[in-house]
Amino acid sequence: MVNATLAPESTERAARDRSAGLGVRVRARRRRRQAVVAYLFLAPTLLFYAVFLALPLGFAVLLSTSRWAGFDLGDIDPVGLDNFAGLFADGSTFLAPILTNTLLFALGTVALALAGSVLVATCIDRLRFQGLWRTLYFLPIVTTVVAVGNVWKYMYQPGGLVNGVLNAVGLGSVAFLQDPDTALPSVVVVQAWASVGSAILVLTAGLKSVPESYYEAAALDGAGPVTVFWRITLPLLRPSLLFVCVTQFLTGLQSFALIIVMTKGGPGDATDVAALEMYRQAFSYGDWGTASAAAFVLFAVVLAVTLVQLWLFRRKGEDA
Amino acid sequence: MTPSLSRRHFALALPSALLAAGCAAPHQGTGRPGDPVVLTLLSHYASGELKKALQGPVDEWNALHDRVKVRTKAVEFTDLLTTFMVRQAAGQGTDILHPYCLWNGQLVRAGVLRPAPPEHAEEIGRAYGAAAVGSSSVGGRVYGYPTEMQTYALYYNKRLLRAAGLDGPPRTWPELEEAAYRTARQDRYGNTLVQGFGLSTFDDSTTVGQTLALLNAAGGRFVSADGRSTAIDSPAGRAVFDLERRLVDRGASAPGVNVYQAFASGQVAMVISAGWWTTNLKALMGTAYREVGVAPVPLPEADGRRATLSTGFMLGVNTASEHPCEAWEFLRWLNADKVRGTTRMSALQASVGSLTGRADDMRRLLGTGGDPNLHPFLDALAYAVPEPNVPGAQQAKSLLRKNIEALWTGQQTVDEALRSTRRQVDQEVSRSW
Amino acid sequence: MIRRRFPWLSYLLVVTGAVLTVVPFADMLMTSFKGPDEAGTLPYRFLPRAFDLSNYRAAIHQLDLPVLFRNSVVATATITGSVLLTSSLAGYALAKLRFPGRDFVFRLVLSTMMFPPFLFFIPHFLILVHWPLAGGNDLLGRGGAGLTVSIVALAMPFLVSSFGIFLTRQFMVSIPDEVLEAARMDGAGEFTVWWRIVVPQTKPVLVTLGLLTFVDAWNEYIWALLVSTANPDVMTLPVGIQFLQDYVDPTRTLPIVMAGLVLSVLPVLVLFLLLQKYYIRGVMLSGLK
Repeated sequence: MVNATLAPESTERAARDRSAGLGVRVRARRRRRQAVVAYLFLAPTLLFYAVFLALPLGFAVLLSTSRWAGFDLGDIDPVGLDNFAGLFADGSTFLAPILTNTLLFALGTVALALAGSVLVATCIDRLRFQGLWRTLYFLPIVTTVVAVGNVWKYMYQPGGLVNGVLNAVGLGSVAFLQDPDTALPSVVVVQAWASVGSAILVLTAGLKSVPESYYEAAALDGAGPVTVFWRITLPLLRPSLLFVCVTQFLTGLQSFALIIVMTKGGPGDATDVAALEMYRQAFSYGDWGTASAAAFVLFAVVLAVTLVQLWLFRRKGEDA
Repeated sequence: MTPSLSRRHFALALPSALLAAGCAAPHQGTGRPGDPVVLTLLSHYASGELKKALQGPVDEWNALHDRVKVRTKAVEFTDLLTTFMVRQAAGQGTDILHPYCLWNGQLVRAGVLRPAPPEHAEEIGRAYGAAAVGSSSVGGRVYGYPTEMQTYALYYNKRLLRAAGLDGPPRTWPELEEAAYRTARQDRYGNTLVQGFGLSTFDDSTTVGQTLALLNAAGGRFVSADGRSTAIDSPAGRAVFDLERRLVDRGASAPGVNVYQAFASGQVAMVISAGWWTTNLKALMGTAYREVGVAPVPLPEADGRRATLSTGFMLGVNTASEHPCEAWEFLRWLNADKVRGTTRMSALQASVGSLTGRADDMRRLLGTGGDPNLHPFLDALAYAVPEPNVPGAQQAKSLLRKNIEALWTGQQTVDEALRSTRRQVDQEVSRSW
Repeated sequence: MIRRRFPWLSYLLVVTGAVLTVVPFADMLMTSFKGPDEAGTLPYRFLPRAFDLSNYRAAIHQLDLPVLFRNSVVATATITGSVLLTSSLAGYALAKLRFPGRDFVFRLVLSTMMFPPFLFFIPHFLILVHWPLAGGNDLLGRGGAGLTVSIVALAMPFLVSSFGIFLTRQFMVSIPDEVLEAARMDGAGEFTVWWRIVVPQTKPVLVTLGLLTFVDAWNEYIWALLVSTANPDVMTLPVGIQFLQDYVDPTRTLPIVMAGLVLSVLPVLVLFLLLQKYYIRGVMLSGLK
């Protein structure tokens, strides 16, 4: 990102140097024409931003501070911050369990995906058939959430694969998705399963950039594999880890397609998450105001979690 | 009522008064002479018997009428409310809707439903039972023809009860518990082989339905008369929660299992459910259906007053419909005109093992042979308590469901469940609109 | 080094992980051949009694597969085409053209990536509904169904990708200015320069972007679910299969649903296996996945 923002200025300078020889009038005319062309090229994008970004953002703010139970735009009633107050009122289920579920879902997914991907990525490096492994681990990512959710939902059933394996080794059946204690962890496992492939990929790329000489030096010093992992591999992987963490958290906090497919938020509200609640408030109950307010609260949470991660990783960086 | 609601009512009052007077005026349809008016009808009669049962009279209407045709559309029940709301928001609402009466408060508040013109409202008030009229009304105003009525009763597996040494179905809660414990069985892995009493977690309606049936049987109510607070935190509510919790704790109920499949395959001894289920069971069980019996919902004590839950659907007309007169005319033909002594709707419902709120029709249709298991549901029409339909009723129901599921799985004690249901439902239904 | 001293341990871990990844797919495939009394019953068995294709026939019949397929293809193609075109145009302007406000626009593109999609979900829907002069709407966007009557509703919110613009721009920066200058000296307009020089030179990144976009668009579920609820005529493949569970008798659906799922994931899997080099590079570049 930092490099990206710097780049335009350097190319600009280069262009300026080159065009210095041209006449002033010609240069001015060319610059004007180029500006027109540039905005022509950008027009579809800017138009899209206006209609599908700026307008919706304003609309969302309006709705979140309004009461609107109907479908006629003329019936929108401004009510200030009532919708936000309602979300946090006594007896509201938004804060707990819905927001806590959302955080647990994201946290669980990140933890599992991170642990799994670090493990696999360190092992996969320089193994034979790397392309094959990478392809296999990648299959869930290109598969629609409807397929992933339904297959796992079936595997979690009493007559499904997971319980079949448990029974085969003499263990009792678990009602994974029906028991509120296991429902959220069960969904987390699926989300992590589906996202571990891209994490492995990013970490593998990170590992490849660690110079071999570091390992050789460590081997000369007689460092064991565990020491090498903690002292060399992990610290050098920090940028990749940060990247995986931030993106997985972002996805985890706002995803609810998997939950709609697998549990619809149940049993009870064991797997109800903020984005699903927003969807229901709007499209089942017609309470656009509460739904939009919930969306902004979730947005605030997403921002906060992202900033905290950036800050934590930077702090660690200064310590090292 | 809040300004926006009364404003809408006022806005509706004028056109509906005009419509009541001017319904005779022929409508131009698509504008081109000769093109018939097409009325769309959205229901949850999406598959199997129900779809065929509704299509029958609709085809009959279309054959008899050249100027007004009816086209049915259907989605599964779990998607029905969202479909009504999303289509309405998208300006694609159908002319005729078949909502679950629980949603009527919400649909009226959102301006989806059109009040019934006076002559239709009178006909409805005259011909249907109190529970049916009550669930089709919002704020004392009738919004549609009640159609499918469901009452709740106790299904039991005769073979499983006999095997446990029981002669007949339980009549009281102590007998119910006794029978549940004696019929339950598990294998060595803890897989439930037979549940004594099935607690469904299938969806809102089945999960909450059985609890509310028991609550009503104990003389309790879910929502207060004014619709602004819940009445579940009461001795009756506590008794129901206690009963359900004990059944789970002692292994007689396994809420994770799909009761609707398990009962059909003889793995559940007793379950409280609505009358529509008889049809499914017949199809699923074949000859084994003769082992299924139905009895009224047991009462806490032998000498109590009978009560159970009733839920229902109705056919109403969309405020956005361009052909409301034709739509009401079709509804009258379907729901009020009598053929061979009963309405088409009553015959339709009876053919799929359901009831309408027209007790006379039902006695006539079920009296001549038919499934004896349907009679307890018919009897219950006289004493059943309709499900509340205030705005927010669907959310209240979902909240109740979450809390009883948490109760069944041991995440909440009975006290906690009662308290948090009251707090959460009160916060939802008391919101001013 | 773990992998040096215990290569078998590395293999064990990687293979176990790979098996765990593949098993659900295998289970999906196996279940799609099972009979109604074979799936979801105790005890569990992995293999079907017979490899019977009747579930596939049932899925195609129940699903109205050709229509679902057409909708998915149209929506996916529209999105992919539009993203490629707009990204390449905007990317070129930001990388190689000089104009006032360039840094501002570039920052704008970057900052839009900050907003999560769910924030726009409700307003996007309402904007499409109230689109002026579409689907029976008047000039103020009232009275009709707006764009929800049309299949373009599926694609509208995804027509431009900020990430796509960012990605193409980063690639185009590295094209030497001399090449472009030379073309301009020969009298080529900016459009010709873009089409004749820039687009061919950035083909690899466009393939990558196209593939990423295609897979995302094909698999998109939530927005398609909403639009399909408003107008079932534009239902896509994932939504149709999720609905299939409702239309068929629930006790018999499972193998049929699995058969439908196999059919729906097949096109993307094939495309991925053929072009995985590009896809994997895209994920490494983006990390937005």
